[in-house]
Amino acid sequence: MDLNFTKEQENFQIEVRSFLSDNLEPQVIEKVKNGIPITKEDSERWHQKLNEKGWLAGTWPKQYGGQEWDVVEKFIFEEECGSAGAPRIVPFGVGMLAPVLMKFGSQEQRDYWLPRMLTGEDWWCQGYSEPGSGSDLASLKTSAVRDGDHYIVNGQKTWTTFAQHANMIFCLVRTSNEGKPQEGISFILIDMNSPGIEVRPIITLDGSHEVNEIFFSEVKVPAKNLVGEENKGWTYAKYLLTHERTGNANVAVSKRKIQKLKKLADDANKNGQPLSNDPMFASRLAQIEIDLQNLEITNLRTLASVENGEAPGAESSIIKILGSEIEQDIDSLTRKSLGKRAFVNEPDALSAGYNGAEVFPKAAAYASGKYFNHRKKSIYAGSNEIQKNIISKLMLNL
Amino acid sequence: MDFKPSPERQILFDTLKKYFENEYSLSDRNIAAHSDLGYSKKAWEAMRDLGILESLIDPELDGFGGTALDISTVFEALGRGLVVEPFLEVGILAAKVLSKGNDVQKSLVKKILKNECLPILAHSETDTEYSKSFVETKLSVEADGSYKISGAKRMLKHVTEATHFLVTCRNTGDASSEEGISIACIPTDREGIKIDSFATIDGGRVSDLTFTNVSISSEELVGELGMSYSIVSHAIDTGILAICSEALGIMERIKELTLEYLKTRKQFGVPIGKFQAIQHRMAQLLVEIEQARSSVINATIYFDDETEREKTISAAKFSIGKIGTLVAEESIQLHGGMGMTWEYDLGHYAKRLVLIDHEFGDEDFHLQKYISL
Ligand SMILES: Cc1cc2nc3c(=O)[nH]c(=O)nc-3n(C[C@H](O)[C@H](O)[C@H](O)COP(=O)(O)OP(=O)(O)OC[C@H]3O[C@@H](n4cnc5c(N)ncnc54)[C@H](O)[C@@H]3O)c2cc1C
Repeated sequence: MDLNFTKEQENFQIEVRSFLSDNLEPQVIEKVKNGIPITKEDSERWHQKLNEKGWLAGTWPKQYGGQEWDVVEKFIFEEECGSAGAPRIVPFGVGMLAPVLMKFGSQEQRDYWLPRMLTGEDWWCQGYSEPGSGSDLASLKTSAVRDGDHYIVNGQKTWTTFAQHANMIFCLVRTSNEGKPQEGISFILIDMNSPGIEVRPIITLDGSHEVNEIFFSEVKVPAKNLVGEENKGWTYAKYLLTHERTGNANVAVSKRKIQKLKKLADDANKNGQPLSNDPMFASRLAQIEIDLQNLEITNLRTLASVENGEAPGAESSIIKILGSEIEQDIDSLTRKSLGKRAFVNEPDALSAGYNGAEVFPKAAAYASGKYFNHRKKSIYAGSNEIQKNIISKLMLNL
Repeated sequence: MDFKPSPERQILFDTLKKYFENEYSLSDRNIAAHSDLGYSKKAWEAMRDLGILESLIDPELDGFGGTALDISTVFEALGRGLVVEPFLEVGILAAKVLSKGNDVQKSLVKKILKNECLPILAHSETDTEYSKSFVETKLSVEADGSYKISGAKRMLKHVTEATHFLVTCRNTGDASSEEGISIACIPTDREGIKIDSFATIDGGRVSDLTFTNVSISSEELVGELGMSYSIVSHAIDTGILAICSEALGIMERIKELTLEYLKTRKQFGVPIGKFQAIQHRMAQLLVEIEQARSSVINATIYFDDETEREKTISAAKFSIGKIGTLVAEESIQLHGGMGMTWEYDLGHYAKRLVLIDHEFGDEDFHLQKYISL
């Protein structure tokens, strides 16, 4: 066992750190560190900075503009970004679709779509879920019927994150009703500006707009936008989901949030003493910290097995459950630490146009909002109950 | 032994329940709750016409209720309706304080019932200090025998339309001492009061108040100089009983919504309530909610017992805090994405339920208080 970084890895870490300190905008760091949502423009400027450095898609092959980072380099990069308060790279294009195109797409698709992800010409969203198909994704109904060199798509997707920003969507569609439901699904790329597409916002309980419903009515999609083979989409979708879930440990982000929480607790008073000295609070905080330390090692163990060539299997379900629950625990304790101030919900308090009363501490502007919004973490990317079903089946053979 | 409410209270509860189901639409409520005022004046007036305020107030002050059982019954119904109008702030906190005052102050309670005034208790200070005796706002005695108040009050709900503030302040003793606390009842337009307001996550607006050398006369004190802790303490305990009961109503409604969803939402060809993993989670919620109800009944029974009141109140607030958060989180989870939406009722109930833990002391605070008593 050797958990130390090599000399090269240490140098890489230093390089990442100095890049971040030279390039992150203070106003964006402030939003991220206080848990306040960033804008589309904030994300785009950050993506562009990373792309100039060649780090927007560090794990990609060099021929497509990546660095061929191994899991340790990827880990170092994410760790540093997390602790510096960098915005999360929007995952739908570079993190989700790209691996699918590289493994299952045509050369033409790779050459066309991958560079556009890096330049930001395309903003992707993920069209899997439907009103009747959430956990039971394979029951999806949105249909694509071949008509010459096009498919005609009809149906509805829902919960689509950032569809309001996106110009492209990758969708699972039904191309056959024969055999098992999984065997009639295809993976297709659709231009959001096509005639017949309507996007309607879904406002979440915290009042924010990040998810949408999308209606498809007689939408014409070029047949060349089909990824891989017709009716093989389920395999590609599962491959993508495994990638989505391993990215869910969020150790670095959780560490940063714990630091912030400690600061809040030092500055708050309970019984005339800093809240951090309160035994009940200290005990809650310590338990989360220990859980997170354990997750860090659990996550590294998974990464190490991936490095040794094993595909992430049901282990990614362990990471998904723990990563989401620990982050939710931190959000919950952050809300608690604010006491009565947790009633406040002014998510725009750090934006330029805000003219209300100053929110102090700044993290109170959206702490409860964030806590409620992050209940989604145990629901999306395969709910935690579904992860447990996967573990029961694949690891326990029950 | 009989745990059933009296027939009159049962009728009151059923009347209110029906009224909220038929007349108090949650979508209108949500618009009002997140408006600049934070509630609906129209709904406030309509509900006053039902006699809700009277049922919270003693007969000698023109009400027809005011006992612990009355309050608990009414607030459970208000919880079911997710009512955001200021019944707690005005009908409980302010009315309980004013009922201990001089004749002028007592007459304000009668005016509350006639919708002629809207007094608000301005007590809470530092965000994370939940102790009932925590008061740093200073009361200084001037040469002519009048007083001045300086200090800050935090996170007060429903201040926008208030006519009077009932400001707790101290002239002696350290920040948490029960001795030295006074209450001043002053009109809200008195010089030297600054108000900063914020939108909230669960509806209604909250405000921070700053008092700078605000003049008051000796007739404006509620109770005797420096001797008013017991008045505040009793009012807040009543407030705790009220919001614990509100939480019960919310939890019952959440239980209904979730159960209905588990029976109708289908995945993998069956209602999700057919999955045993889900059944056990829902069964656990039922078990916990029964415990929560018992804690509130216990606090209601002992409410007028001076030696037991605080301990049973802390036990109830601890139970409600712990169970309420669990119920809110689990019910959202069991709904999947649907539980996350603004459109659907559940999330709004869940938000209020969680935020109840941030009012008058959270579960940790009350567990520690329980240990200390
Ligand atoms: C904020 C947010 C963003 C999202 N973004 C996207 C996106 O960009 N693209 C996209 O395609 N989707 C997205 N989703 C959808 C997400 O993937 C689904 O919500 C998720 O798969 C759950 O489906 P559902 O909401 O239909 O819940 P359901 O499947 O109806 O589940 C309801 C409850 O039943 C449980 N359950 C279901 N089946 C079982 C079982 N067999 N055993 C035990 N328990 C079970 C679930 O765990 C859950 O608790 C998003 C969701 C949210 C909330």
